[in-house]
Amino acid sequence: MAHVVLKDLVKTYGSFKAVNDVSLTVNDGEFVALVGPSGCGKTTTLNLVAGLIPITSGDIVIGDRVVNDLDPKDRDIAMVFQNYALYPQKSVYKNLAFPLQMRKLPRDEIDKKVKEAARVLDMTHLLERKPRELSGGQQQRVALGRALVRDPAVFLMDEPLSNLDAKLRVQMRSEIKRFHQDLKATIIYVTHDQLEAVTMADKMAVMNGGYLQQYDSPAQVFAHPVNMFVASFIGSPAMSLIPLQASTANGNSVLTGAEGWSFELSPRNAQKVANATTKKVVLGARHSTIKLHNSAVPGAIPAKAYTVEPTGDVTFVQAFLSGAIVNVSVPPNIAVAPDEQIWLEFDQERMHLFDGETEMALKAN
Amino acid sequence: MSTTAEIAPRGLSRRRMRVDGWRWAGRIFLVFMLLYTAVPMIWMLITSIKSGFAAMQFPPQWWPDEPTLASYEKLLDPQNSVGQDFLRFFWNSLFVSTVTTILSVIVAVPAAYAFSRFSFPGRNFLFFAVLLRNMFPAVIFLVPLFILMRLLGLMNTHGSLILTYLTFGLPLAIWLLKGFYDNIPVQLEQAARIDGATRFQAFILIVMPLSTPGIIATAIYSFIGAWNEYIYAYTFLTKNDQLTLPVGIQRFFSENTTDFPGLMAASFMMSVPVVVLFLVLQRYFVRALTEGAVKH
Repeated sequence: MAHVVLKDLVKTYGSFKAVNDVSLTVNDGEFVALVGPSGCGKTTTLNLVAGLIPITSGDIVIGDRVVNDLDPKDRDIAMVFQNYALYPQKSVYKNLAFPLQMRKLPRDEIDKKVKEAARVLDMTHLLERKPRELSGGQQQRVALGRALVRDPAVFLMDEPLSNLDAKLRVQMRSEIKRFHQDLKATIIYVTHDQLEAVTMADKMAVMNGGYLQQYDSPAQVFAHPVNMFVASFIGSPAMSLIPLQASTANGNSVLTGAEGWSFELSPRNAQKVANATTKKVVLGARHSTIKLHNSAVPGAIPAKAYTVEPTGDVTFVQAFLSGAIVNVSVPPNIAVAPDEQIWLEFDQERMHLFDGETEMALKAN
Repeated sequence: MSTTAEIAPRGLSRRRMRVDGWRWAGRIFLVFMLLYTAVPMIWMLITSIKSGFAAMQFPPQWWPDEPTLASYEKLLDPQNSVGQDFLRFFWNSLFVSTVTTILSVIVAVPAAYAFSRFSFPGRNFLFFAVLLRNMFPAVIFLVPLFILMRLLGLMNTHGSLILTYLTFGLPLAIWLLKGFYDNIPVQLEQAARIDGATRFQAFILIVMPLSTPGIIATAIYSFIGAWNEYIYAYTFLTKNDQLTLPVGIQRFFSENTTDFPGLMAASFMMSVPVVVLFLVLQRYFVRALTEGAVKH
């Protein structure tokens, strides 16, 4: 196993910058998820690490070697592809043996390692089958086996679960996590599903438009998103972002909505707003931090329920405030009807405030 | 309520009748096509086992009174002059077609792969330029190629034919194979390269086996093209010992009488390699090798 360092990594296609100055360090044995929407550069970044496409500038270090100009085969990596990329003409056994054959291992050693990998992944009975005779989950497992049979320095995984159905995905998710814990493997894992990233990774790198937005533990990213993009991307349902106007009334800092309502900020939040470059402030609130009242309460903001979505565990109520959709979760025993008048109360301790111009999170000092 | 109930079954039966009508029209058409293609072949076979006299009789003998393999014996007998000629023509055709096939696969495989996998300046232009030759009838190039071959000193050599057939067969071979390579997921090669293969090894070990059906289809296509070609062989070759089968068979039309059983026997033997090739290799056309490689 080894650590991986990306330093000022850039990849351009003509005038299009697919990856922009991405720098991050993956420590030995760490599980890092690259997460972001389609086209954010996460898969390109992974392919750069793999050496499948040449880098434009910057450095990639795997272990203690700069691997910028090395062929994929010389980087001591293994990769699991979204479509598994199993060799269709080869049996499962030969698929697993291929990386070892290419490294010219003796035949009996290959046999031993393949059988060991098959045992670990519980697919000894599948060794003679061809990939097309396997189910999606089994193919997935073979792809994983082909990666681990070689004991590489780094595992690269490109959306390995996105072709599985929902149930199998949850199952394989925990299997990969277990696999990481058992092997203490260094894993770089690309996904567009923030839930996968949050549940599996030690650290997540949120990307957008080729830029690395935030690189931290899932808990930190969840609790302290650096900007509006990260705030809205991580968490499901997404954090509600409500554009508001900051002003001062009677010496107190106040936020006002487009409908004319306003509420007073706590001293700490007031300090954050004072640091904004503009009077436009965006309030971010996760569904669980907003309280719903059926009658007027001091500090609560009047709104109309727009849709009500019971999920069994919780019921999500959506309402419009200042032109933005606000998502609130309530216990299932609280009955709210669409178009019913409701009052929403924001938790000053857990709300996020963003600069309306720069979209960056506002800090207290 | 009752009206809809009445209309529904009638509409249904009318639709079924129409489908049946089309299906029968299709069957009749196919039977007609079968007769159209098979009858001349059968007649060729029947004539080839007749005697020279029986072949000329009218009304024709549908089945010869005295079937004989004399024509085949004559053609395959290296002792007499007809047999010597036929075997030499056969060998010439086999040589020209085989070399054409091998060369066209050798050129088409990397060319198609490059068109499929790499982006380079002028890629689209080149790809369509490859087809330029096929936009004109082959005869148009007869005189220019004749002059070119004379300049190159290739007149009366099999090389002139091989070169010509390559220019005819390659464009389609490249297009056909590119389609195959486009359908092989690039991730297979990437996986192989990460698993320790060089780019070339990934191509040879992973991509080539998967494109076997395409390569075989391409090979058959260029073999048959070269095997059957007449006009260029007729123009470029004048020496008797170099002629290919299509031109050679023409010798059975002599000035006074035509040896029809001999002609038909030669034609039949000429079609044998093509048919055998197809029967042996046709399963490759059908085999969907990439099935199960990736999840679509």
